[in-house]
Amino acid sequence: MTTRLTRRAFLATGTAASVGLTLRFPLFGAPDAAAAAAFDPSPMLTITPDGLVTVHITKAEMGQGVGTALAQIVAEELEADWKDVRIDYPTANEKYGLMLTGGSWSVNWTFDALSRAGAASRLALVDAAAASWNVPAAECVAERGVVRHLSSGRSLSYGEIVKRVPITKTFSEDDLKKIALKKPADYRVVGKWTPRLDIPEKVTGKAKFGIDTFLPNMAYAKVAYPPTREGATRTAVDDSAAKRVKGYVATVALPDLVAVVATSYEAAVKARDALKVTWDPGPNASVSTESIFAKFSQAKDDPALQSWHEVGDVKTAMGSAAKRHEATYMTDYVAHMQMEPMNCVASFKDGVFDVYTGSQFQTFAVGTLAAVLKTDAKNIRLHQHYLGGGFGRRLEPDIMVETALIAREVKRPVKLIRSREEDLRRDFYRSATLQVVRAALGADGKPVAWDNTLVASHPGRRWGPDFVDKKGLDQFALNGADHVYAIPNQIVRAIPVETGISVGYVRAVAPNYTFFAVETFMDELAKLAGVDPLQYRLSLLGDAPRLARVLKLAAERANWGAPLPPNTGRGLACVSAQEKKTPTWTASVVQARVDPASGNVQVEKITCAVDCGIVVNPDGARSQIEGSLLFGVSNALKERGTVANGALVQSNFHDYQVLRMNEVPEIEVHLVESTEYPTGLGEPGTTTVAPALSNAIFAATGARVRQVPLLPDRVLAALRAKA
Amino acid sequence: MATLLINGKSRTVDADPDTPLLWVIRERLQLTGTKFGCGMAQCGACTVHLDGQPVRSCQTTVAQAAGKKITTIEGLHPEGRHPVQLAWVAEQVPQCGYCQSGQIMSAAALLAKNPNPSDAQIVDAMSGNICRCATYPRIKRAIKRAAQQGG
Repeated sequence: MTTRLTRRAFLATGTAASVGLTLRFPLFGAPDAAAAAAFDPSPMLTITPDGLVTVHITKAEMGQGVGTALAQIVAEELEADWKDVRIDYPTANEKYGLMLTGGSWSVNWTFDALSRAGAASRLALVDAAAASWNVPAAECVAERGVVRHLSSGRSLSYGEIVKRVPITKTFSEDDLKKIALKKPADYRVVGKWTPRLDIPEKVTGKAKFGIDTFLPNMAYAKVAYPPTREGATRTAVDDSAAKRVKGYVATVALPDLVAVVATSYEAAVKARDALKVTWDPGPNASVSTESIFAKFSQAKDDPALQSWHEVGDVKTAMGSAAKRHEATYMTDYVAHMQMEPMNCVASFKDGVFDVYTGSQFQTFAVGTLAAVLKTDAKNIRLHQHYLGGGFGRRLEPDIMVETALIAREVKRPVKLIRSREEDLRRDFYRSATLQVVRAALGADGKPVAWDNTLVASHPGRRWGPDFVDKKGLDQFALNGADHVYAIPNQIVRAIPVETGISVGYVRAVAPNYTFFAVETFMDELAKLAGVDPLQYRLSLLGDAPRLARVLKLAAERANWGAPLPPNTGRGLACVSAQEKKTPTWTASVVQARVDPASGNVQVEKITCAVDCGIVVNPDGARSQIEGSLLFGVSNALKERGTVANGALVQSNFHDYQVLRMNEVPEIEVHLVESTEYPTGLGEPGTTTVAPALSNAIFAATGARVRQVPLLPDRVLAALRAKA
Repeated sequence: MATLLINGKSRTVDADPDTPLLWVIRERLQLTGTKFGCGMAQCGACTVHLDGQPVRSCQTTVAQAAGKKITTIEGLHPEGRHPVQLAWVAEQVPQCGYCQSGQIMSAAALLAKNPNPSDAQIVDAMSGNICRCATYPRIKRAIKRAAQQGG
């Protein structure tokens, strides 16, 4: 395992249907496998003599039900009996390939490979049973965990085969590709209602999250964090008062880390609070929301803007057009606010670090830990737990690095739990953004030129050169701006801006803000052209028929065009999120009521139609869509991270508010039946909400709000501007 | 030292009287179903019952809890089959699951007091519990289901 992923490797796995991503065939049939305790046809799958099939889930379980979905995929082709299927979450290992959970990629990246792993395992089991009966494999069938010889009526369960029969069939990469997989019409497990395997232990308190880890002789650490998000340096540490706290164990003062270790959590808090650390706040001490947006505003005209996406000749088309329009969109910082504050347990013994946490990106974490701790990656054992929310926060290894460094210093296991305040202040936020969109309309009212300038901070630049392109741009800070509308001339220009506020990937990532601009602007163009926003979009979706279909479906189910009470409106948005290469075609109609006196917006209903291809777990899919839409409502209405003195102003749920039950609208989800290759569902819904809501506010009041979140004072300002 | 009555058992712990009950339950007694979310009674992840009343254990001290019956998610039902828990499975409520112990404890306390709550009463009782995965529609459905089944 290398410290840094190469960009090529990272992107190669990002393409759809990466067969063999984590499977190393041929893997079958070492002769002793027959006598072994279990049959491990691939790193993803173990069949034991008791007949249990354990699917090893190398994706993080953070609520998306990924374990159940991936196990269903294997079970389908394996012809396993679902009641025999188990899942586990193995310790990070190179044999699993790239261990990364994000981008709504999990099912998309693994569906083909896991299907083939299941199918190959089934074929090997059938072959073994047939050989033991001395009959042709073609006369045997596998069904519900049993191989039967049809004419003689003999049968062997998978468990019995593993126990008693040599399994010798091997598969080359080529053989795997040639396996004829089932037709969707024949599915018995995929697409069927299947309760999630992780839910029973999540209602009894038994589910183990990283924070629930205990090791013998474990102590508790608390870190003294600097006053600014980036750039502060420590000038002095005085731990004399800390040492007097009951339970104090040690002070750890490393160049980039000051911490106190104590025998209990509360003692560690007291000792850390008693620590006197003097800081030089560094160059970002006066960074504020205002200074950041002023910087963004300058950057939008910077000659260093790079072209990221270009079609045709925008300049010429823009010059000759009948009508032109321009709008500026802004979005504020957004925090993850996953419910489980960042935490980790680590021990260091005999040169080996055991690290216990929930990670979305084990490959990156192990590489980073090895580099920081100056050890070989094989000395890092990263033990996976349930994630108490991920949303992209647990892509980052920062808490693991801190805990491992402290554990090495104090030579005993330590548990580090950030308070909510620390969690929020040390977050990697979704960047604030500024986008200027210009378009020119032809005589028929359709856009002939589209020009988007996108100013944001790019997380990939912090992760390293492997995570940006040759121009220094992070595609995950920009995607979505390359929308699927048929516009002959387009350009998207971008410039990454450093602000002193660390940015990262937050659920639905760039498409949150890119589609906000694209889909709100599309509404503005429809208005300019004098065409209904639904019809206007449909007229431009000739290249994306599946998107047109869900858009029509959502509009129809939402009674698009039917009259509504005063100050109430419907808005729509349709997206190719999470990425244009792996799109889940998603359209939402948001119905909202605006109080013109206060500017308060109440979301009344969201009607969402989704085409993600094959749906592996329909109820899990609905659950993800519901959650992603409501995450979008929370982002769109409430969440505003502001900056003062180089750090986030907000500190906890009282001043960084997220959606609660009293603000939940009615939600209606329509999943399109499809046999297309599956894409993901964790994020796309989120990206539709802010633009559809902004468009609904416009429909209700005629006021255009171009800044997310769509706060009451912004709505009032837009209402005044209209008047 | 403090003696606490948790899930029907008497437990003696070495903790100062001002220690939040949450940290004693979680880190001393290792009843980890009760979760830490905010430390200021804003999120409800740490909800437990004190003499049947839902309280935020992060804002309840050991001294305040002493002498009272403390129930955590582990003690809600001996086999984890409280009507609210069964309804939570039936409606497939949890996503990440981290907040769900607190949600279930709030819901169970609501139904104990009001066996047939209206929508508004459910919203009122549950709006102190944050679910960042936003499983709210299913929570609401599950509470109604549990109410129908005598939760």
